[in-house]
Amino acid sequence: MSFSTQVAGAAGETGSSPSPRRLAARARAALRRAEVFRWLGGASALIPVLALGFILVVLLVEAFPAIRINGLHFFYKSVWNEGASYNAQIVRTGGVEHLSGAYYGALPEIAGTLLTSLIALIIAVPVSIGAALVIVERLPRRVASVIGVFLELLAGIPSVIVGLWGALTFGPFIAHHITPVIARNMPDVPVLSYFRGAPGNGEGLLTSGLVLSIMIIPIVASTTRDLVRQVPILPREGAIALGMSDAQCARRVTLPWVGAGIVGAVVLGLGRALGETMAVAMTCGVQLTAVPGNIYTTMTTIAATIFQYLDTAFLDGTGFAVRTVAELALVLMVITLAVNIAARWLVRKVSGTALPVGRGV
Amino acid sequence: MSTQADPAQPAEAAGPVGGRADQAVVTAPHAATDGQVALTATGLTLGFGTRTILSDVCVDVRRGAVTALIGPTGSGKTTLLRTFNRMNDKVGGYHRKGDVLLDGRSIWHPGVEVMELRRRIGMLFQRPNPFPMSIMDNVAAGARAHRLVSKAGMKDVAERYLTAVGLWGAVKDRLKDSPFRLSGGQQQLLCLARALAVKPEVLLLDEPTSSLDPGATQAIEELVRTLAPDITVIIVTHNLAQALRVADRTIFLNQGRMVENGETRQLFEHPAEEETAQYVAGRFG
Repeated sequence: MSFSTQVAGAAGETGSSPSPRRLAARARAALRRAEVFRWLGGASALIPVLALGFILVVLLVEAFPAIRINGLHFFYKSVWNEGASYNAQIVRTGGVEHLSGAYYGALPEIAGTLLTSLIALIIAVPVSIGAALVIVERLPRRVASVIGVFLELLAGIPSVIVGLWGALTFGPFIAHHITPVIARNMPDVPVLSYFRGAPGNGEGLLTSGLVLSIMIIPIVASTTRDLVRQVPILPREGAIALGMSDAQCARRVTLPWVGAGIVGAVVLGLGRALGETMAVAMTCGVQLTAVPGNIYTTMTTIAATIFQYLDTAFLDGTGFAVRTVAELALVLMVITLAVNIAARWLVRKVSGTALPVGRGV
Repeated sequence: MSTQADPAQPAEAAGPVGGRADQAVVTAPHAATDGQVALTATGLTLGFGTRTILSDVCVDVRRGAVTALIGPTGSGKTTLLRTFNRMNDKVGGYHRKGDVLLDGRSIWHPGVEVMELRRRIGMLFQRPNPFPMSIMDNVAAGARAHRLVSKAGMKDVAERYLTAVGLWGAVKDRLKDSPFRLSGGQQQLLCLARALAVKPEVLLLDEPTSSLDPGATQAIEELVRTLAPDITVIIVTHNLAQALRVADRTIFLNQGRMVENGETRQLFEHPAEEETAQYVAGRFG
């Protein structure tokens, strides 16, 4: 009914006013709109590319003098010395000004970044996968959705709050009640001896790693949960009908079915862990010049150092300290990019399909 | 499966039905002690939530025979089939009265281990469902899970059972490949090989050819014929001609009731029940 009136109306309009000028104007407007959208679309698609390129170029330009002066020892020395800042003797090496005695080796920061992320992954990956499987396959739908809400809330807690909890409550608790027992009883064999020694005061590698794991569990778990939900029922029933246990079905059918996606989820979490600044800065104990000798000692990461040291770096009138911070940032960026590329390669090896998530940086 | 009441389901289907079901009850007790009987359902009433799918079903399934389960959509064929290896137990709202006996022992007896039960009663599904692993691993997956074969013996197992289903020639050079590159019929044969590799006594086939082309269907049907009498086969089918081709015995279900159970030819040519006669003549379903 309404359709026929519309048709009749349109026919009447064209019949009564064939004004070609109006038609042309309308066509031009439509063309303009289409053009605008094409340009807007193209520009939006370019923005991520440009942003990444811009950040890389700026960092490279900023860091380049530091890269030249600091050289290779930046990667294997454990020194953090901005030079004599009181009687400010400015030295020029190869055209780059810096304070006399300035010497930087970022091994503790690089090692700290990798170690905290490793601890976080070792804890978060099994917990997240287990949680995802339980949520999807065991819990009643209503309970599962409530837990899902909590997972998402946990993911949304500002890292400064997690850091505060880690520094005030969690760190001291494990340092007083848990780590002394472990430190005393761990056998003195390779790898495990890393858990021996002074249990510290609650600020350090273990606390930072644990806090990080709590921050990435919701990311990895909720992504994995969504993936596990997508596994069709048919192959799972096939496994159950074959007399496999739930655990065998999960390990051999459900998880491999979405293996590539889980790698992506883990990389997403790893990206967060590598770059997390605030929570680590608040719980690491800030040790710029030593690679942690056991799992309880104070340490720092690249991100935490960039944040905590930047104020001091600005006091260096030659600007060399800031350039070194930029070099540090570049190292972090290369690590995260390398992790992402490695993950893509791994995913392709696992499945031959594209990575569903690639926003690890 | 939905636990909601299905409005399309007639209300009468839920209620207990006398007459024919009572006749079946008479056959059940002696059937349970008969050595010829592999599986027996006695007074099996089963449903999900408020919906009753099976009402007082009593059937016995001959050992070493191929038995077809026929009936119109919604008659409870698949539900009955899935009850035999307890695949329904965890569906939401599941409730049950009555019993199913395997070799005279209840499949819900506390001494029955459900994973071992499912090894003894294998299953093939409507659509092929290979696992996300290589063809060889697929065949050996169940056998590995039940520790029937060592890692080193996997290739032998794969060869034996792929040969048994006539797939060996086609896949012997790509045992490490993904099964998802095989055709639908080949995938279903692979799933059959996988089911056979755990040495089941009973095999449940849930419309195994409904997603396959005629050639693959014929291959599966011929295989099913060769499985008996070593394996007791129960095949759910929508296709009456298929039941005639493969089944020694046929059970006709309608609206959750067991209507008739007998020799296939007898049931199709001289059905004892008017309902059966109407169904096999194609007047409903």
